Amino acid sequence: MGDWDGVRDQQLYLLLSEFCYFLMVLEKTLESPLDFKEIQPYFGHLMRRVDSLENTPMLGGIGFYACEMVLEEEGIYGDVSCDEWAFSLLPLDVDLLSMELPEFFRDYFLEGDQRWINTLAQALHLLSTLYGPFPNCYGIGRCAKMSYELWKRLEEEEDGETKGRRPEIGHIFLLDRDMDFVTALCSQVVYEGLVDDTFRIKCGSVDFGPEVTSSDKSLKVLLNAEDKVFNEIRNEHFSNVFGFLSQKARNLQAQYDRRRGMDIKQMKNFVSQELKGLKQEHRLLSLHIGACESIMKKKTKQDFQELIKTEHALLEGFNIRESTNYIEEHIDRQVSPIESLRLMCLLSITENGLIPKDYRSLKTQYLQSYGPEHLLTFSNLRRAGLLTEQAPGDTLTAVESKVSKLVTDKAAGKITDAFSSLAKRSNFRAISKKLNLIPRVDGEYDLKVPRDMAYVFSGAYVPLSCRIIEQVLERRGWQGLDEVVRLLNCSELAFTDMTKDDKASSESLRLILVVFLGGCTFSEISALRFLGREKGYRFIFLTTAVTNSARLMEAMSEVKA
Amino acid sequence: KYELYSMDWDLKEELRDCLVAAAPYGGPIALLRNPWRKEKPASARPVLEIYSASGVPLASLLWKSGPVVSLGWSAEEELLCVQEDGVVLVYGLHGDFRRHFSMGNEVLQNRVLDARIFHTEFGSGVAILTGAHRFTLSANVGDLKLRRMPEVPGLQSAPSCWTAVCQDRVAHILLAVGPDLYLLDHAACSAVTPPGLAPGVSSFLQMAVSFTYRHLALFTDTGYIWMGTASLKEKLCEFNCNIRAPPKQMVWCSRPRSKEKAVVVAWERRLMVVGDAPESIQFVLDEDSYLVPELDGVRVFSRSTHEFLHEVPVASEEIFKIASMAPGALLLEAQKEYEKESQKADEYLREIQELGQLPQAVQQCIEAAGHEHWPDMQKSLLRAASFGKCFLDRFPPDSFVRMCQDLRVLNAVRDYHIGIPLTYSQYKQLTIQVLLDRLVLRRLYPLAIQICEYLRLPEVQGVSRILAHWACYKVQQKDVSDEDVARAINQKLGDTPGVSYSDIAARAYGCGRTELAIKLLEYEPRSGEQVPLLLKMKRSKLALSKAIESGDTDLVFTVLLHLKNELNRGDFFMTLRNQPMALSLYRQFCKHQELETLKDLYNQDDNHQELGSFHIRASYAAEERIEGRVAALQTAADAFYKAKNEFAAKATEDQMRLLRLQRRLEDELGGRFLDLSLHDTVTTLILSGQNKRAEQLARDFRIPDKRLWWLKLTALADLEDWEELEKFSKSKKSPIGYLPFVEICMKQHNKYEAKKYASRVGPEQKVKALLLVGDVAQAADVAIEHRSEAEMSLVLSHCTGATDGATADKIQRARAQAQKK
Repeated sequence: MGDWDGVRDQQLYLLLSEFCYFLMVLEKTLESPLDFKEIQPYFGHLMRRVDSLENTPMLGGIGFYACEMVLEEEGIYGDVSCDEWAFSLLPLDVDLLSMELPEFFRDYFLEGDQRWINTLAQALHLLSTLYGPFPNCYGIGRCAKMSYELWKRLEEEEDGETKGRRPEIGHIFLLDRDMDFVTALCSQVVYEGLVDDTFRIKCGSVDFGPEVTSSDKSLKVLLNAEDKVFNEIRNEHFSNVFGFLSQKARNLQAQYDRRRGMDIKQMKNFVSQELKGLKQEHRLLSLHIGACESIMKKKTKQDFQELIKTEHALLEGFNIRESTNYIEEHIDRQVSPIESLRLMCLLSITENGLIPKDYRSLKTQYLQSYGPEHLLTFSNLRRAGLLTEQAPGDTLTAVESKVSKLVTDKAAGKITDAFSSLAKRSNFRAISKKLNLIPRVDGEYDLKVPRDMAYVFSGAYVPLSCRIIEQVLERRGWQGLDEVVRLLNCSELAFTDMTKDDKASSESLRLILVVFLGGCTFSEISALRFLGREKGYRFIFLTTAVTNSARLMEAMSEVKA
Repeated sequence: KYELYSMDWDLKEELRDCLVAAAPYGGPIALLRNPWRKEKPASARPVLEIYSASGVPLASLLWKSGPVVSLGWSAEEELLCVQEDGVVLVYGLHGDFRRHFSMGNEVLQNRVLDARIFHTEFGSGVAILTGAHRFTLSANVGDLKLRRMPEVPGLQSAPSCWTAVCQDRVAHILLAVGPDLYLLDHAACSAVTPPGLAPGVSSFLQMAVSFTYRHLALFTDTGYIWMGTASLKEKLCEFNCNIRAPPKQMVWCSRPRSKEKAVVVAWERRLMVVGDAPESIQFVLDEDSYLVPELDGVRVFSRSTHEFLHEVPVASEEIFKIASMAPGALLLEAQKEYEKESQKADEYLREIQELGQLPQAVQQCIEAAGHEHWPDMQKSLLRAASFGKCFLDRFPPDSFVRMCQDLRVLNAVRDYHIGIPLTYSQYKQLTIQVLLDRLVLRRLYPLAIQICEYLRLPEVQGVSRILAHWACYKVQQKDVSDEDVARAINQKLGDTPGVSYSDIAARAYGCGRTELAIKLLEYEPRSGEQVPLLLKMKRSKLALSKAIESGDTDLVFTVLLHLKNELNRGDFFMTLRNQPMALSLYRQFCKHQELETLKDLYNQDDNHQELGSFHIRASYAAEERIEGRVAALQTAADAFYKAKNEFAAKATEDQMRLLRLQRRLEDELGGRFLDLSLHDTVTTLILSGQNKRAEQLARDFRIPDKRLWWLKLTALADLEDWEELEKFSKSKKSPIGYLPFVEICMKQHNKYEAKKYASRVGPEQKVKALLLVGDVAQAADVAIEHRSEAEMSLVLSHCTGATDGATADKIQRARAQAQKK
């Protein structure tokens, strides 16, 4: 066997979309002595064949299957052992875990494809084997419920492992993205969110172009808690960021200046200990100042203010006509297909769908502006419930009121239920009222000293998703939120599971794992971080991917290949 | 030497008339009667019988295949029967046929002269000697690889004796031809000579390799026995027994680490133990006997008895030697006296203690007990050990406890009904796991479970494994109804951890009991485990619902692709229809892999909306030619009508018109028009100066005025055709007002033009327009005039320090005034 023995333990790594395949070569049928050099090109050929699969979008399960097919066609299937390494959780930051599955959103919420639920349940299972069982579980949404049930089943099948362990994380909260599209559709004004909207943060790092680095090169920068400057401004409203950065710059300068009055010994200390840190900080500072300037250039134009104003008007539900006109103008001017779409969706969700006339005219305008293939986009958005037409029965309210006069209120409620289950309505306005999402502000909202989570949207709107989480944690369940749950069309999909477990330490009860199914935005993360600071919680985020309005819209868009 | 069992097998024949094979480690004995002898007529069919070591019959079957040359047991206690034609038949312990394999084609013509079964680290090997005097061997029958050995030069007749030797994980053949010895490995044949061999040897009659392949004994025609290492490098001792008759059997009899080397040689009526001593020990054999080499001794069985011959272990020797003063012996004595309530007990004890040898004494007694075969003896030795232990502080109890446990296990399996006469050393070598396997193999499930429970083995390794084996056996009982078997199994197994119902079901399916397998699968808690077997059993639809239940989408895919090949299309789609989750998965698959199938799927469901979308996508993704694209769109439009989606249908028809038109434009004007949106088409027309056509297009497609104005404004500004723009602005009253004009002009950095339009901006937007063109002062005037607080602050925010100081003051003043009022 000679040379072959050396090769036997060689492993080949085949990378295929999000999966990693190992091929281990076995000696089995190779009878004659083989020279490794002879077979090496063959492996190369094999790798290329499997690699070429990557170009065709592969599905989770099919990827593996296809890999096997290649091996079979090559006639070496029996000689090769295949293993699959699905890396499910990627820590992007100290409190942020991402599954990096941006396709989750479209696959589940649009195509109704449930294949990721298994992946999700596996990830949750993994977490509970690492950190012990979760004594308190809450969730809302169909996907959340399915994942939760599958996860519990997995747990039962492999019982014994987690039992008896002390829980390290006290609460887990599962939330479907379609519970709250509104928050995800709003323009972000918190620094981290703005950076994401403007430059797109990918997998915890961002490419700052030449306009930011003030050199001719782009620079890839990791954005997480390690970056001290960033860590201090990431959750701040953008209007504060510049002031903070200039203050910081002054401090830095002062520290640099200190060295003037130093003697040699002090100087030595300074150079050996502080200088490096200062330099690092300086570098980061100049980067973020560059980023800020670049954002300012893009965003503080009149257009952006108008945009924000329109958004706020939509959220609060006044001047709908004016907003609609604004959107129409937006489309007519071909400002941006994604932005226009986003505003249309926002309008639709906050208003329980567009009135038929607007629905038709906006769509026609849009198709004329951005091309006919978006007919499919609209069909997608309709299916996902993002852009809908007000049911002809939004005369419903009229009927309802008439009916309620005739029969008892209870029956009327039932009828409404029946109707709302027919056309999935977002009921945003009613929910907003119930949960007090639009804070009444007397005077100017001081963004420097935020009072509530609304600061992430300039004090105009408390993110619905975060408010739900806050309320449920406060009440330790869904009691008293029946009306909200009904309005969310989730009467059967909200669950609580509390184990009477005294083992949970008070420290672990402060820890909350929030799982966003379908992605979460940096604004939501900032808002919850704020809530955590206020209430003494510590939130950890697990999301299928970090998203923002543009990503959501792109996921729904049909673009010509 | 002691008797293990008195055999009560009812042998009709003499042992010498049979082919005999006994497995080591107290294994079973196989007898093949009526071997093919020349003098006997071949009419009677021979019978193959298998007995336990205690002579309990396990199986008996009529031999229907060809003549057998040799029998042997593999390490897994499977019976290997080497036939004359080179075919090896493998039987189980209970006479059940397992499989067969051949030792190569060459053997077919040449016949097998002789065969040996031997054991290696990998398993069991078979070596054969063919009629052409060639050797072929396979080192592991489980993973068959035949090695043909090189020719022995000058070999004309069969060697006088030969054996397989394993050294350095490689099997060799050692053979004797006349006075010469040859060692065959798979590359070469080399002649070897044992060192220190007495002269005058003209042939070797018998050779024996020890159990561990470490030693070799040679018996020559002069009645001389040479004993040495198997490598033939060293001689250990020699002995001259002066019997020239060839012995029937010769085997090694020594303990693995013992210094004494001994060989047992058997003739018809005589048994001789020879070693490194001038004297030999002789036994007279009353009957035909057969020797079975073991790790630490030799088993000798005959028609009536089964005995074990071994070198006395050191511990036992020390204790039982006559007048022994070893501490163990004294301790045993002390205990005996103690039981007699004699004060001598104290004396003995004191004697040991004075020498400080009590720990050794206890240890010796424990060890000796292990080597005792008779429970009474074991008991008294153990009692002595426990007695001695009382006088010791801190004597670790584990060795005593473990020995008690081991002996209980050993005594249980040595029982006549079980018939596995293991010695303590063999047991330790074999390990408890293997012993349990052997019990399972003998279908002694209750005993195996009792042992597991007694030894407190973890469930997964112990009880549940045995239960699973039991269940696998149970499903093979064909006379019991499926119902009963399934119930019985479930009752016994419950949900013991570590039992895989799917494995048992697989076994049931292997026996052809599909229904039973399905019943058993019902008990499998992990639905994922059920799927592969269900697929194998062609219960794909059931497999599909199980896969969906498991939530594992990979699994669902596997089943789906399986189903797709198995069913015809219609049935397949029907199946999918009832499984929404599978359907959505399959749709996803089709989207990426088989677009045509996707269409069929939609067609079947009458999903016209999706069908329309499908054709739209096709119109720009799949079709190249314009005619094809229009046709696709037409189909889409039809589908949309069916779906009662008038809007989409109309939009699609518009797109068809647009496509045709764009084509015409490209033909007539050149440039690219295809695939532009309507808006972009019109813009392109304006940019290329085709105003007429642009107007026409706008009318044809009913572009709203507002859009048209925006469009024209932007396009003309891009062209910097200010004249045309001005003309356009005056063509009629602007539906979008004039502020956009100002904005767009400023975007093109044309302040001059911008100012023109600023004057025409309506009053409510006037301030904004003025600010846009940078006329802060005038903006302030207008704001003050409007008395609008919002406008004033807007202007104020545009005031930059030095230049607009006066304006700022003005506004402040106006504000103050306004507030006063």
